[in-house]
Amino acid sequence: MAEIVMAYSASHAPMMTADPGSAPREQADNFFSALETVRDRAKETGVQAIVMVTGEHFTNFFLDGLPQVAIGLDDEHLGPPEVWLQVPKKMVPSDSGLAKHIAAGLIEQGQQPAMSHGMKLDHGFMTVYYWLDNTMELPMVPIVLNCTTPPLMTARQFHDFGVAIGNAIRSYDGLERVALVAGGGLSHFVGEPRVGDIDEDFDHWFLDQLASGDLSEILAVPNDVLMEAGNGTGEVRAWIALAAAMGDKPGHVLAYEPVYEWINGMGVVLYDGDSAGAVPAGQA
Amino acid sequence: MTLYMVQRCLFDHLRRLEAAGDGPKPDIVTEGYDLTPEERRAVTEPDIGAIYAMGTHPVIVNGFCRALGYKRADYRPLLENSGAVPTPRRTPWQKS
Repeated sequence: MAEIVMAYSASHAPMMTADPGSAPREQADNFFSALETVRDRAKETGVQAIVMVTGEHFTNFFLDGLPQVAIGLDDEHLGPPEVWLQVPKKMVPSDSGLAKHIAAGLIEQGQQPAMSHGMKLDHGFMTVYYWLDNTMELPMVPIVLNCTTPPLMTARQFHDFGVAIGNAIRSYDGLERVALVAGGGLSHFVGEPRVGDIDEDFDHWFLDQLASGDLSEILAVPNDVLMEAGNGTGEVRAWIALAAAMGDKPGHVLAYEPVYEWINGMGVVLYDGDSAGAVPAGQA
Repeated sequence: MTLYMVQRCLFDHLRRLEAAGDGPKPDIVTEGYDLTPEERRAVTEPDIGAIYAMGTHPVIVNGFCRALGYKRADYRPLLENSGAVPTPRRTPWQKS
């Protein structure tokens, strides 16, 4: 059976690859240093494949058919479509056996993911993935979440979803060492009057909960209130799912920087793998 | 006629721009979309504030502004003056 040997959540502002030098040097160095730490951890733990969850940006779906969750099932996926992202366009390998196993496992646990072929990997994936493996050879199973278009799944529903993803990965016998990665967040405002703002109070409040392993406050926040922290901030749903998959054990906050030049609260939270701690609570 | 039609029109335009790459930029097409005269005016003029105030998805607003070459400092005032600025509410994480 597969073990989740590491997991981490990271912000995916496009500017982090499109124009990294636009951020204050110290902020960029701190954020990228955290990504180097997780890259080193991936090498140390011998990660064979990653499962990555991130927000959908109308790259794969539009309003005529928008799933809450969709899993890419192909052997490889094209990324990124944004030519300005400064990430080479490439067919990124996946592990379709793991992808199909996760899809089936989620359904068995009462989740209802959409199945997708031809999924494209936009900045939501590629910014973070490129920092993890700039050869882009590490297999990645992509999962997109609706984080911006109401009605939305609640934070609590994504927590349940995360538990189910963790169970599904761990019951896969085709690999031994898998990493789970979440992209998106922290606070940011897009295409609305507060564009460019960052809700630093929210970011610290949320990160403190991840660090303590007690998500009870964020799980009680209704969708419309969460939107007050920014209409892009809902991507923290991916972080909540990841924390749940890791049994809500305390995460290591490796970095937080409110980078106004990138219009994004930029953070990285790393979780130890299954064998490094207690058996995740609530897992089957 | 419907907000979906406005959003579909803008989304299709953004996809056509993407497909054009470095070639000539196509004008926005409104034929084939069931738009009111005001909706047609807003997307062709374009009137970013009106497009936002109609309820257009912010991801589409953002993409359209970027496609027009607007910087954040250019289009934030257009949105702030749209007449559709939501009233802030107290949140559990708010310190002050």
